[in-house]
Amino acid sequence: MVEQLLARLDELGAKAVLTGAGAPETLRVLSKLEEEARNAGRDDAARSVEDLARAVISASDAEKDRLMKAGLENLRRLLESSGKAAAPSPIAQDPELIRDFVNEADEHLAEVEAQVLALERDPSSIDPLHAAFRSFHTIKGLAGFLDLQSIREVSHEVETLLDRARKRDLAVTSGLNDGVLERADYLKRAIRAVESSLQGAAGPDPPSVKILARVRAALAQREPTPVVAAERESRAPDQEAAAPDPSKDQEARSDKQAGSTLRVDASRLDYMMDMVGELVIAQSLVSHDPQLRSLENGSLHRRLNQLGRITGEVQRMAMGLRMMPVGHLFSRMRRLVRDLARKNGKQVRLETQGEETELDKTIIEAIADPLMHMVRNSLDHGVEPTQERLAKGKPAEGCVVLAASHQTGHIILRVSDDGRGLNTEGILKKARERALIAPNQSLSENEIFHLIFLPGFSTAEKITDVSGRGVGMDVVRRQIEGLRGRIDIESTLNQGTTFHLRLPLTLAIIDGLIVGVGQERYILPLSSVREMLRPTPQMLFTIEQKAEMAMIRGALLPVVRLNRRFEIPSAVDNPCEGLFVVAECEGRRFCLLVDQLLGKQEVVIKSMGEAFRNVAEISGGAILGDGRVGLILDLNGVFREAVHA
Amino acid sequence: MKYLVFQLAGEEFGIQVQKVREIMGVQDITQVPQTPPYVKGVINLRGKVIPVVDLRLKFTMPSVEYTQRTCIIVVEAAGERGPMLMGVVVDAVAEVLSVSPGEVEEAPSFGHDVDTSYILGLGKVKGQVKILLDIDRVMTARELKHLELAAG
Repeated sequence: MVEQLLARLDELGAKAVLTGAGAPETLRVLSKLEEEARNAGRDDAARSVEDLARAVISASDAEKDRLMKAGLENLRRLLESSGKAAAPSPIAQDPELIRDFVNEADEHLAEVEAQVLALERDPSSIDPLHAAFRSFHTIKGLAGFLDLQSIREVSHEVETLLDRARKRDLAVTSGLNDGVLERADYLKRAIRAVESSLQGAAGPDPPSVKILARVRAALAQREPTPVVAAERESRAPDQEAAAPDPSKDQEARSDKQAGSTLRVDASRLDYMMDMVGELVIAQSLVSHDPQLRSLENGSLHRRLNQLGRITGEVQRMAMGLRMMPVGHLFSRMRRLVRDLARKNGKQVRLETQGEETELDKTIIEAIADPLMHMVRNSLDHGVEPTQERLAKGKPAEGCVVLAASHQTGHIILRVSDDGRGLNTEGILKKARERALIAPNQSLSENEIFHLIFLPGFSTAEKITDVSGRGVGMDVVRRQIEGLRGRIDIESTLNQGTTFHLRLPLTLAIIDGLIVGVGQERYILPLSSVREMLRPTPQMLFTIEQKAEMAMIRGALLPVVRLNRRFEIPSAVDNPCEGLFVVAECEGRRFCLLVDQLLGKQEVVIKSMGEAFRNVAEISGGAILGDGRVGLILDLNGVFREAVHA
Repeated sequence: MKYLVFQLAGEEFGIQVQKVREIMGVQDITQVPQTPPYVKGVINLRGKVIPVVDLRLKFTMPSVEYTQRTCIIVVEAAGERGPMLMGVVVDAVAEVLSVSPGEVEEAPSFGHDVDTSYILGLGKVKGQVKILLDIDRVMTARELKHLELAAG
């Protein structure tokens, strides 16, 4: 953390020298540094950056550089001194306990968020208050035990607030809700700081007393808010409370689920998966053993079949252990939608469907960012402001739907809004302006939609501070494709836009094509294979007697002979006796020549470890049906290295 | 200190016993392309994929056909990102031997011809010399990268 801040400080120094201390670029870096310092829990540094910025802006040109120089030195001292000379914090004492605390507190804070949002839908219900109170109470207790004073004290204050609310001593208002969420956010940051101090030996301090003072001040200011809001509430009859809350049952259910879960170390789970994989192979070797097969023993065969069924079930269960319902991710979006709608002054409702759909935890984590970006996009550019909606004859409240469902070994995630829809003409115009397409190129509607995924494309008229800041839809697409997924768009002008994401259920398994070259077998990811064919002499061309090409359906594709590429003997020399696998990666196609196709199989991807991480052609290993290791090829690496060679 | 003693081309080597996870016969090894010749490939160790190094080739000794006595010693070596399992192919495993610190001599420098960076020391037990290996340094990722760069 401190290293990161120091790196930013260096950048700042460089910018100040190159562009001048008062230049906008320099000030931008300055504000970035301030934000990072705050995120790192270094409010002392953040404040001194703030002071520096103010001083530099108001100083005369001649003064600016001198001030900047002094300020930089000052900051460096501040950062470095507390990075190293911090008194041994209690955190160093029991990392195990702290790690548990971080995990548990995260869960409680997620719970708090869900409960506050439930409370917003139905301010009269008391259960969310109890639940949120319990969560803060637990955090307080744990933090006290671990001597994390600031976390303990903030939790304590919120707990007090919630306690008053549940005794009906304090009205449940948006002011209270905001206050609780703000505190939860503060605690999240404090917990991140604790976590990072666990990782680095000389990480930042645990949240300092100074931060607490700041939060205290905020709390003090906030105190009267609930009262004011209470008055407002007494004037306006609460409409929301009248509506029955369909999500209540569900929340109660998730409550129960949370109570009966068990945290397991990920490495143990991996080990179990390895062993289950081995069990399946051993079982299959035993039941296909020719000697056993030839025995005329009915009960033996019945038992073998029984063993096979149980093994299969165990494997399915083990695979399922990594799966998590996607609902948790959806509820994180709920908070985002709420905050953004408020910020943009729009009325937006989030609907979720298929929360119970399960997928691999690693995928859930990996799609959080792209999903968040798409939701932001919908709120910023999709859903219109209330006036505009009313003028179009639409309901004042916009609606964003997140839906998940299973489809033949994949999960389909849908993000849709009932907003403006994509404006094909606007997109075309922009794409031509930016020379992303040729001026007279004609495109289908779908192709036009896909232009928004091109790097450097952003139709937003003005850049808001949420979407359209550097990361665009091109990043979203890259992230989704990195997960071996696909993204499609459906949109009707003035009716809305829907993004369809198609993702594998797990990253741990791929559909593989097993091919043979000489004595070796390799696994090709099926998702990169377009077709397979036996080449004919008419297809083949050589360029300057060296590079080989193949003409396939009018397209001229480079040929890579896997045996030559890997310098291994092959059973066939004449390509026409082998097999062409037409592969596509990063938008380019090429033909891979192998001896023969051995089969198609789902394989569990195993890491090859650090020893082979420089081998670009191999992305991992897999245990094949006979217990031997097969190598999974990285087709992109195979092709790239072939071109360079 | 206890060492597992094994033979390679008539010489005796030792690996610290606490580094050894298991000893197995030679099984099917899957070759990995684009690696130096001493990297024989990878094997399936109860569901894990681990690399296997032929120590004869690593130490530039003449290679031989694997026999019934040829073994893979699975060791836990220090990798850049924590411990990593790897197999080393040796001619035969001999015994487990206690070597006291007094019986260990620092490896002398042989100049450029012999790389002594992965030799912990020379153990002199009952008039015989055992070459004590620092298995952490026999095949590190860094060294592998270095070799790849050297090769091309």
